[in-house]
Amino acid sequence: MTPSFADLGTAALRAALPLAIWGIGAAAYAAAKRDGRALASARWAALITFLLVASAALAMVGALVTHDFSVAYVAKNNALETPPFFTVISLWAALEGSILLWTAILAGATAYVAWRGTPALPRLGTTALAVLFTMVTFFLLLVTTPAADPFVRSEIVPLNGNGPNPLLQNHPLMGLHPPLLYLGYVLFSVPFAYAIASLILGEGGDRWLVATRRFALVSWALLGVGIVAGAWWSYAVLGWGGYWAWDPVENAAIMPWLVATAYLHSVMVEEKRRLLRSWNLSLVIATFALTILGTFLTRSGVVNSVHAFTQSAIGPLLLGYLVAIVVLSVGLLLWRMPTLRDAGAVGAPLSREAIFLFQNVVFVAATLTVLLGTLYPLIAEALSGAQLSIGRPYFDRVEVPLALALLFLMGIGPQLPWHGASRATLERQFTAPIVASAGGALLAVATGLGGAFAVLTYALAAFVAATVVQEFARGIRARRTLHGESAGTAFANLLRRSGRRYGGYVVHLGIVLVAVAVATSQSKTVEIERTVRAGDRFDVAGYTVSFNGLRDVKEPQRDLLVGDLAITGNGADERLRPALVFYPHATQAVGSPGISAGLRDDLYTILIAYDTSAQTWATIRVLVIPLVSWLWLGGAVVGLGAVIAALPQPKRREALRPLAEAPATVGD
Amino acid sequence: MGARRVLLIAVLAAAVLIGFVAVQNLASSAVYYLTPTEARERGVAAGTAARLGGQVETGSLRYDPQTRDLRFVLTDGTTRVTVIGTGAPPALLREGAGAVVEGTFAPDGTFRATAVIAKHDEQYAPPSPGTTPSHRVP
Repeated sequence: MTPSFADLGTAALRAALPLAIWGIGAAAYAAAKRDGRALASARWAALITFLLVASAALAMVGALVTHDFSVAYVAKNNALETPPFFTVISLWAALEGSILLWTAILAGATAYVAWRGTPALPRLGTTALAVLFTMVTFFLLLVTTPAADPFVRSEIVPLNGNGPNPLLQNHPLMGLHPPLLYLGYVLFSVPFAYAIASLILGEGGDRWLVATRRFALVSWALLGVGIVAGAWWSYAVLGWGGYWAWDPVENAAIMPWLVATAYLHSVMVEEKRRLLRSWNLSLVIATFALTILGTFLTRSGVVNSVHAFTQSAIGPLLLGYLVAIVVLSVGLLLWRMPTLRDAGAVGAPLSREAIFLFQNVVFVAATLTVLLGTLYPLIAEALSGAQLSIGRPYFDRVEVPLALALLFLMGIGPQLPWHGASRATLERQFTAPIVASAGGALLAVATGLGGAFAVLTYALAAFVAATVVQEFARGIRARRTLHGESAGTAFANLLRRSGRRYGGYVVHLGIVLVAVAVATSQSKTVEIERTVRAGDRFDVAGYTVSFNGLRDVKEPQRDLLVGDLAITGNGADERLRPALVFYPHATQAVGSPGISAGLRDDLYTILIAYDTSAQTWATIRVLVIPLVSWLWLGGAVVGLGAVIAALPQPKRREALRPLAEAPATVGD
Repeated sequence: MGARRVLLIAVLAAAVLIGFVAVQNLASSAVYYLTPTEARERGVAAGTAARLGGQVETGSLRYDPQTRDLRFVLTDGTTRVTVIGTGAPPALLREGAGAVVEGTFAPDGTFRATAVIAKHDEQYAPPSPGTTPSHRVP
């Protein structure tokens, strides 16, 4: 009998576990004794572990594609009719597969550090490798025990499986959003491992931070783009016309992203000024702990959420892991605190480092307040037994002002020099942006945007956008004068040669797009609901919606009841098909909105209810949501900026170094 | 030294302010999750935001597509509450099935729902009759 994919997967995971445990010891020994043979053995252990776990993940894909319902995971999350694309991505449609993917990514990062990280920094890298092996071991323990064994066999092999959760097979974004988030979550393990290694070794310096800067940036960007992709999925699938609900799992994703954003900025303070050393270590530990907390919250069933998979034995294990991480990391940090002296102190309130400090405080406050709102129901239940939830008003009222404060700091921070600014500098940097912000406020008022927060958002967005344009204009002008380049070449060279700085500005521009999209869509959405019969038409915000009746559509894996709409007006001439989708194993129909997307606004239609007896009428809800597509666009711009910032920069010639970095070499 | 102190005070002031705003809003945004029986026993005041979980009583669901009046009885097996809302119910809000409604009690004891929550989730389990609805899946 030939072994099945599941047999191969189980065998691969069982083989990987002892290798990872071996890796911990080998890497730790290699780091302590500077032993080359132990290091070589740890490296091979890392590579083979990765190959084994990756094969296990591929084996799961194989089991899914061959519809091997003798595997319980396949029987639960796949059916013969499931389209191939959704069959493959069912790898991450439920708990066990997600943890398997997580383990594979983590093993990949570990192998990368083993082969590329340890030669660069032998002791630090090898110690970090031991830390990473420990994490891999934990996750391998999950997937080789009933806690999250993806290859558990079915007790009775069904003829057909249940198919994926209806919501997870409704949109191609499911192929993008979860893996991006997992990549972002997991890749942050690398900066964390280096930070812990640095603490274990008592290095006290900044080498861990410099070595993992790019990892942190890439993981931050993947997490950010993954969050936006998730918002887009929610918008395109859930049929409520919104994209963010402060659902516990959304909070779980945004919290590490917020702390990581703070970290990416305070890193610069440490690099330039050798300040905030213990603070940066704390931020890395917090970011990593929050990724595990998020996984625990959403995967253990502790918090009620649309994303929570059913409760499983994994909850207590993740909680134990989280507690161990926090206790050990904080213990290490406190133990090494005496070696983490800053080289000086933050000076003038109007210096770049001071703004970064404020920005960090606001980011941490935003994280803590989100955390409070997310955990408060648990706290209240533990204290008084009352069951309650914290609604959107809390998050909106607390986080919106903080977000505006961040937008403001984002405008002034990059415009201030390190150490402090003179009056002349302030005038030079802020005259144009202040004029622009007045223009932004006027634009908001002129376009009828309601609410002080929306107007303020426009003003601050214009302010930030102006600072970015000003920076690019000055950079291009300088290159044209110095090197005689054309404007286009100068622009490209700014991005290529000073990618970290100008990529950062591109990221800021992306955030501006997101802010404008959120402010506009939240304050100017038009919504109407109509009960209509075939042939009826109605107007909304310049569009005319005609209802042409209901149609039944049969697809192999599902049935749809489609509302046939024709959209005209505002230059549109389109047919939309909002539908109710019925899956054979689902008890509820899933709504599927019909969306006509545009840069100016989206027309969003939902089939709310219908005449179940004779299909003579249907209730249609129509939303006209302005600028919402700018949100996805903004996410893409953030990702693009991060790519520019992460790309290796060509080596500069000494003479072209900025004066602040190497004054002595000028003219040598 | 002066500059440092200014900075420190500013940071502390910001932290205190944010904490104050957060705690203030936490209390006012809490929505209690109750069964109809618990709501009755606690004597939830009219106008207080609450979330009720229960089953839609068989034979009670009425929706008039013309006036958009929605009306049904939510029950936990012990206590019945008439829920009144505006707008079409979620696609398959069915009699006998679980539902969660958000809104406030009117002085006459009916519940004015601002939202009939459509948890499009196969795993979502409404509370069984007579039990306290739980965040946790049992």
